[in-house]
Amino acid sequence: MAIKVGDRIPAAKVRHMTKDGPKEITTDELFKGKKVAVFGLPGAFTRTCSGQHLPGYVQNAEALKAKGVNAIACVSVNDTFVMDAWGKSQSVGDKVMMLADGNAELTKALGLEIDRSDVGFGLRSQRYSMIVDNGVIKQLNIEKPGAFETSGAETLLKQF
Amino acid sequence: MTIKVGDKVPSVKIKHMTKDGVKDITTDEIFGGKKVALFALPGAFTPTCSAKHLPGFVQNASAIKGRGVSTIACLSVNDAFVMDAWGKNQNVGDNVLMLADGNAELTKALGLEMDGSGYGMGTRSRRYSMLVDNGVVKQLNLEKPGAFEVSNAETMLKQL
Repeated sequence: MAIKVGDRIPAAKVRHMTKDGPKEITTDELFKGKKVAVFGLPGAFTRTCSGQHLPGYVQNAEALKAKGVNAIACVSVNDTFVMDAWGKSQSVGDKVMMLADGNAELTKALGLEIDRSDVGFGLRSQRYSMIVDNGVIKQLNIEKPGAFETSGAETLLKQF
Repeated sequence: MTIKVGDKVPSVKIKHMTKDGVKDITTDEIFGGKKVALFALPGAFTPTCSAKHLPGFVQNASAIKGRGVSTIACLSVNDAFVMDAWGKNQNVGDNVLMLADGNAELTKALGLEMDGSGYGMGTRSRRYSMLVDNGVVKQLNLEKPGAFEVSNAETMLKQL
C-alpha cells in the first residue's frame, strides 16, 4: 500500500556516494530532526528526469532551503555509481543528495514501486515528490504513470 | 545452468539506444552470421568497469576487428539510458555496441547472473568475455567474483 500524508517514513537503508566510496545511509539519518524535500523518479539519465525533474530541483534549491528545508534528496532505483555519475553530469554539487535505492528497499517500503520491465528497466520508482518533517510526510505528490505535472520543484515550493 | 563453449546463445530480446531512441534488439540480430566479441560486467560507471574493462575494448577495437570480428558488444544489467550515457562518457563512439539487459533476461538465459543486493545493485551480470561465431560460443572467459584477469580485451585478442 502506498504511503500517505501523516504517515511516518519506514525504516530502510539506501546508499549514497561519499568521497570514501558508496556508503549506507538510513532513513533515520536522512529524516530525523530535519525538514527534507524528497523526489523520486523512474531512472537516472532518462529524458524527463534529466531534462526537467532533477534540473528543476537544482535550480530551486536555494528557494526551497530558504523555506526551511534542510536537505533535498533525489531517490531512484539505480545504484550508487550511476546516481553519482548522473549527479555530476547534471552539476548538482551539494544542492541535491543523490540517493541510490538499488535494491528498491525504500521504494517498496513506501509502496511506490512500479514494474517497468516492459521498457527494460525492471522494478523502479513511481515519480513523486514529498515534504518530510522529522520523518513524517507533510505533502505527497504522486504522478500518474508517464506524467510530470505535480512533482516538480515549483509545485513543492508552493506547498510550504 | 551456465552457458559453455559450443553452446548456442539463447534467443532473447534486449535493448539499445539508437538515434531514434531506445529499441529492442534480439540475440539473433546481434549474433546471426557474424563473429562477435561480447564482454559483460556488473555495472555501468563502476570503478573497474569504467577504468579498465570498457576502455580496454575501446582501445583494442581496431585490432580485434582486424581479426575478423564484426561487432564488439558490451552487456550490463543497466537500462538503455544508463548504458548510452556511460558509452558517451567513455567515448566509445562506434567502437562498441552498448547493450542494455535491464531485466537481466539475457544474463539469466546465459546463467551468468549474480546477486549484487549486498552492494545495492540487485541482480547483475558476472564479469566475462566471450567470442561468439554465428550464435555459437567459441571462447568463454568467466571471471571469479571480484576478479579482472581473463575477460580483458588483450586476452581476447590472443584468442582470435
